[in-house]
Amino acid sequence: MTNGNISRRRFLNLVGAAGGATALYQTARALELIRETGAMPQLELRSVGGEGRKVLILGAGIAGLTVAYELERAGYDCTILEASHRVGGRIITLRHGDVVDEMGYRQVVDFDDEPHLYFNAGAARIPGHHERAMHYCRVLGVDLEIMANDNRLAWTQDDAAFGGERVRVREYTTSARGFMSELLAKALNTSAFDQPLDEADRERLLAFVRSFGDLSDDGTYRGSPRAGYASGGFLKHGELKPALDFGELLNSSFWRYSMHFNQHVDWAAPLMTPKGGMDMIVRAFLRKIRTQPKLDAQVQAITLTNDGVDVVYNHRGRRHKVSADYCFNSIPSHFINGIPNNFSKEYIGALNAMRRGNFFKIGLQMKERFWERENIYGGISYTNQRINQVWYPSHGIFEKKGIVLGCYAFGPDQSNWFERLPPDERIAAAARMGEKLHPGYTDHIETGVSVAWGRMNHMMGCGNRYEEDTEHLFHTVQAPEGRHWMIGDQISYHSSWQEGAFASALHAVQDLDSRVRAEAGTA
Amino acid sequence: MSPVKRMGIVAALVCAAPLASADEAAAEPVIPAPEFVYCTTCHGIDMGGNVVLAAPRLSGMDAWYVARQLRGFSKGWRGVHPEDAGGHEMRPMAAMLSDAEIAAVAKYVSRVQSAPPAVTVDGDAGRGKALYASCVACHGPAAAGDRELASPPLTGLDDWYQLEQLKKYRAGILGSHPDDSYGQQMRAAAALLADEQAMADVVRYIATLGAQ
Repeated sequence: MTNGNISRRRFLNLVGAAGGATALYQTARALELIRETGAMPQLELRSVGGEGRKVLILGAGIAGLTVAYELERAGYDCTILEASHRVGGRIITLRHGDVVDEMGYRQVVDFDDEPHLYFNAGAARIPGHHERAMHYCRVLGVDLEIMANDNRLAWTQDDAAFGGERVRVREYTTSARGFMSELLAKALNTSAFDQPLDEADRERLLAFVRSFGDLSDDGTYRGSPRAGYASGGFLKHGELKPALDFGELLNSSFWRYSMHFNQHVDWAAPLMTPKGGMDMIVRAFLRKIRTQPKLDAQVQAITLTNDGVDVVYNHRGRRHKVSADYCFNSIPSHFINGIPNNFSKEYIGALNAMRRGNFFKIGLQMKERFWERENIYGGISYTNQRINQVWYPSHGIFEKKGIVLGCYAFGPDQSNWFERLPPDERIAAAARMGEKLHPGYTDHIETGVSVAWGRMNHMMGCGNRYEEDTEHLFHTVQAPEGRHWMIGDQISYHSSWQEGAFASALHAVQDLDSRVRAEAGTA
Repeated sequence: MSPVKRMGIVAALVCAAPLASADEAAAEPVIPAPEFVYCTTCHGIDMGGNVVLAAPRLSGMDAWYVARQLRGFSKGWRGVHPEDAGGHEMRPMAAMLSDAEIAAVAKYVSRVQSAPPAVTVDGDAGRGKALYASCVACHGPAAAGDRELASPPLTGLDDWYQLEQLKKYRAGILGSHPDDSYGQQMRAAAALLADEQAMADVVRYIATLGAQ
């Protein structure tokens, strides 16, 4: 910092000199908690090379891999234990032959063995403002491509509107904007506004409203090319489609949520995804870290000690114990209570209070890319059927086959309905519902896979979060207990996003660094 | 899917038998075969239970009882009623097991040991003792169960789980299947407990039996 302000580091040194290591560490923590800009932090970890500091990381998802990557670079000796048979956590790209380890419904992916036939069953999208995710893709050399999350040519369908017939998103959206604008234009013309507008303001506002809804000069909506032409437009004069019935627009549930989905902070275009599958990020981490995660290593006990953490784990029929100076734990919060530990009542209570989510996805291999014949290349169609959405792959355009996301159910009400069916019945149900968006849909399906995050072994949930008004609980689990930090997307306000996992990991790593600097008296 | 699943189970059964190596003392923990790690994901390490997932403590339960209850899932006695959310979660796991696999997992459950269940239900043990009189005939004065009567021991169970089960029996979420005669008996017995407080009192009393 300049302008006569003392730097953060200089300030901490003064605090350390006056109050000792504990005051120093607590002050550093307070500073970290105050700063929250969403930006990728500038990491300047104190190098501890040669000091033999041991770090134990529980869970080989994005948070655990990030901790390993950063702490290895600073000279820590890292060990990673992973309970499941695979690395990556909820970063999972399913391809030919992969195992989906669901409780009671183990599945083996039967997609053709082709590079473009994959399904991101967990994280699938990265927006540009997720600075940490973008940072790691950049430094790890992960090749990204643009992914169409929004497609004006995709469909919306609701049983309660338009006789249940599908309507192009652009037609629905254009008509809805047209009618809303027409209403506003009429209100402006009758000067029914409370706020005084001078004539110039009124003219500009009318022009804005006309432009927003593509109204005629007289302020009425009579259709717009934004909705697509009924005919012509290239060699003949383009004939506009008639405006949709406003009552039917209201009958549809599309306006409640999905119509504005592309405005959401995290889902607005453009989004990105790694070429070849989201797990390219995981593979890149594994190439860059020295320690490789120990798979099938399930934690049996966590004991905080005066100068570290002891962890007992089982590995393929044998029990092991490992001691470390520090522990970073991404085990889902809902499992911690089932693992013997000596955490404080407050800490375990806060972890137990977190609620688990259960998203549900289906991936379908289509024998031909029929959607491309409907002018759809990437993006999402919406329906009020339980499948909610159908995603078309942005990659592999013009290939013969493609993997479509055939269902994305959120929350217990929607997800439980699918979870309670055996896998083949889930696929059959998704096929029936997809028929409403694409007549003949079922005939195109060759094989499918379902991923019920609420039933996955060593997961039993996803998107963990607190209810409203529980910020104090969040602060409890965000702070370390002894030399043990909880990490993962669950320890963030961006649960179920990789950015949340990165953020929690970096917060914990910076916290460790503050402590190490405090102990060394060199903040 | 099926052949791969079967291979996994066969491998598990092979691994299940010799658990303790020569240098491990008899008091060493019972390590689950890879296929039984699934059980500990929800039911807790060493099957000690996890209230957060509503998964009960099962360690040390009688093998015959565990086996019967597991079969109950595939027979439709458990995990079928729409309001039995926990049962629905469990049912596919139980339904995939063959008789031999059920015997193996029941044996594991009966051998594994965990810390005693904590007291978490707030009830009046004195009132519960009086109410327990109607339970004694089947479950015994020490709540140790009676295999002849097909009644399980209760002292090793989590108190919150006993309370939830009593409520489910009383509401007919359990004990409604026509072939589940023991469940029907239990449903009738649960109906003798007037309200949730009575159930909590009984459960609290049973906890005192376990502490002796």
